[in-house]
Amino acid sequence: MNVAAVRFEGVSKRFPGAQALSDVSFEISAGACHALCGENGAGKSTLGKIIAGIHQPDGGRLLINGSEVHFTTPRDALAAGVGMVHQELAFCDNLSVAENLTLSDLPARSGIVDREAMRQRAESMLAETGTELDVTREFGKLAIGQRQMVQIAAAVGGGAKIIVFDEPTSSLSQAEAERLFALIERLKARGVTCIYVSHRMPEIFQLCDAVTILRDGRHVATRATTSLTESDLVQMMIGRPLAEYFGRHSDASAGDEMLRVEGLTVPGKFEDVSFSLRAGEIVGLAGLMGAGRSEVASALFGLEHPSRGRIVLRGKPVEVRSPAHAIELGIGYVPEDRKRQGLVLSASGLHNTSLPILGRLSRFRWIMRARERSVAREYFDRLRVRTPSLDATVAGLSGGNQQKIVLAKWLAASSQILILDEPTRGVDVGAKAEIHALVGELAARGAAILVISSELPEVISLSDRIVVLRSGRVAGELSRREATEDSVLRLMAGIGEPVAS
Amino acid sequence: MTELTAERPSSRTADIVRRLLASQETGLVIVVTLLTIALIALAGSHLDRRTGLEVNNFWNPNTLVQTLTDASFFAIMAIGATMVIISGGIDLSVGSIYALAGVSMALVLRAMGPMGSGATAFVGIVVCVGIGLMCGLINGILVVGLRVHPFIITLGSMWVLRGFAFVISKAESILVPPSLTDVAKAPLGLGGGLYPVPMLVMLVLTVLGAIYLTRTVMGRHIFAFGGNLEASRFAGLSLGRIQIGVFAVSGLTAGISAFLGASFYGSASSGDAQGYELYVIASAVVGGASLIGGKGSAVGATLGALLIVLIRQSIRTLHFDQNYEWIVIGCAIIIAVVIDQWSTRMTARRLTQAAESARAAK
Repeated sequence: MNVAAVRFEGVSKRFPGAQALSDVSFEISAGACHALCGENGAGKSTLGKIIAGIHQPDGGRLLINGSEVHFTTPRDALAAGVGMVHQELAFCDNLSVAENLTLSDLPARSGIVDREAMRQRAESMLAETGTELDVTREFGKLAIGQRQMVQIAAAVGGGAKIIVFDEPTSSLSQAEAERLFALIERLKARGVTCIYVSHRMPEIFQLCDAVTILRDGRHVATRATTSLTESDLVQMMIGRPLAEYFGRHSDASAGDEMLRVEGLTVPGKFEDVSFSLRAGEIVGLAGLMGAGRSEVASALFGLEHPSRGRIVLRGKPVEVRSPAHAIELGIGYVPEDRKRQGLVLSASGLHNTSLPILGRLSRFRWIMRARERSVAREYFDRLRVRTPSLDATVAGLSGGNQQKIVLAKWLAASSQILILDEPTRGVDVGAKAEIHALVGELAARGAAILVISSELPEVISLSDRIVVLRSGRVAGELSRREATEDSVLRLMAGIGEPVAS
Repeated sequence: MTELTAERPSSRTADIVRRLLASQETGLVIVVTLLTIALIALAGSHLDRRTGLEVNNFWNPNTLVQTLTDASFFAIMAIGATMVIISGGIDLSVGSIYALAGVSMALVLRAMGPMGSGATAFVGIVVCVGIGLMCGLINGILVVGLRVHPFIITLGSMWVLRGFAFVISKAESILVPPSLTDVAKAPLGLGGGLYPVPMLVMLVLTVLGAIYLTRTVMGRHIFAFGGNLEASRFAGLSLGRIQIGVFAVSGLTAGISAFLGASFYGSASSGDAQGYELYVIASAVVGGASLIGGKGSAVGATLGALLIVLIRQSIRTLHFDQNYEWIVIGCAIIIAVVIDQWSTRMTARRLTQAAESARAAK
């Protein structure tokens, strides 16, 4: 424990539109499991990616095992013994596990791949991490948990003594997560330093020896986990008590029922889901990854067609045939993946905003451009979208401004029922607060809002009620008063059993 | 704090100038102009036998109109094809649609026997444009209905349609009534064997295409579809209709071009416009269309066609070895697209910097 495995000295990193890290200094002891935690946008992932050579710091020094390093690629980092396990997998789905594991140095004799040697090497790499897997299987056909095991094997087999895990459990089932925790314990026992990027309290306390808390890109504290309680940690992450977290809207007096879902079922996705949503109300839809949250939203928006159950809008049963029909019915959907589903990145903010309502903004299919422009300007001003002009392509804007444009789109479409799927994912802290304030304001004006978020504090503080899904079924509904991180998590993971411990 | 830079009236003209300078077409106009100037300078001159005046070998009405006429037949198709390309697809069948439409028209007119010139022109247009539109619709319906990539569908229809043209024409070249040639070669007040109709049709269709793409709902939908299919789905667009629409327009322009071409040259055969699909795609791409989708313009497509024809013309005018024509054109296409990508990257960088400074100013 004399020389720190990783040491940050005044590390800073700036992205277009956001200061991701400013002047971060702390160290991680060798052989420890060290958590980096903080809210989304706090800079924890950026820090992890700097260690792994994916990002380069703009200022400050990074020391690995006492000597200063300048990684420019993940390969540099791996050469220095640092590997990373993350969601955006750097593997080829179409190749086998063995080929993926040995890709950088395929065993070959005079240009012909030695398949037997390749298989053996891959198997021994997997064995080192205690994983058993048919290495001839195609990588793309593995479950996500298995893919992570392969990634870890690649890092360890590549000689990594320090491994960064970036939100590794975010898409794992409970059983897969348990296997991962066991593997991390084994790695620790072998002297590997694990850096665990997460904001999931139970995991941090179960796995980690020490924790570094980041907030708004700044270092808040580094402590031994034994010296902390969960609420200390939350307090440090958000900088103020949870109750005032989002400065959220006062309990609006909810109006008429806008939407009721009765026994809705999409086979294989979710089953027998029922809940209701009133005007002026914000209802949270919580659940672990894969619980069926976004799938329910898709069905409400006409992207999936339920086999059973019904959707009742303003007292009238409807069959939502398509997104166009949903828009006509006054439903707006801010999708989970902004860049893939929310925006046409190559188009301007103006054109993105007007896209769903071009029909309304045109006469005989001829776009009334002055009107289009004034509508877009109205919502850009209202949402305080920061862009050089309405005609600037959205690709160049920050995440927060992009997300505001997706919101502007649905406000311009005058949707009375808004489904917000991960409304603040990848958005900087300032924009996040603005979006939260806006959501409250919209509800106060009578919109009915369904919020889906993986960030528990966000769902809890925004919602008047929370509907919790588990494995595609409603596990329970919590009122504002009943909803705490603990009660929601318990419902998400299965009542009674304390979560992940 | 500046939310959005308000468009102050004083900066408006500057804004328009800046946008003009930044636009793809401006670059092409400059290149086309420079090439024209170079051609005039290098072409040399000859004495006109009738008037005894010295005439530039390139800058004379005959050569200019001839060049524009050459360009118009595939520029017209490129306007349709560029819409397919903006939607992220590709249409390899336009040359075959041209051949089938032309041959069908010639056969129908032959079967109907002599008619008044107005009736002949009417039937000719209806058959040509109708066949073109129908082929395009079939392409679109197959792409959407079978969920097969447009490359494959149109590769298939490229052979199938030309095969039909071959079979129904029995591989013969079929004459079209002279009254049609009179339409396509109407002097419209110009004398001296100048035929402005094809180039005028090209101009009109370029303007219509540009309006369609930039000012109508359908045009905007095409850009969104090609820019991000998923986001378009989430915005409630009817994806199938958009995709069928672009192929229909592409077939339509091929039909129009076939009518003009067959009428202009006085005959139609199943071998017409062979290889045109590649000229057409090249025109669209040189004109700034991106094969990934989401980018392109009608004006660009026409300018692209013009540029390719100019390069071909310069080889003739400057008496270079004509055997090198393909090599030169191939290189020119690659160079044009590389320059385009490079300038796009520069523009993107400038935009990001502008966004940055806007943010810094708040």
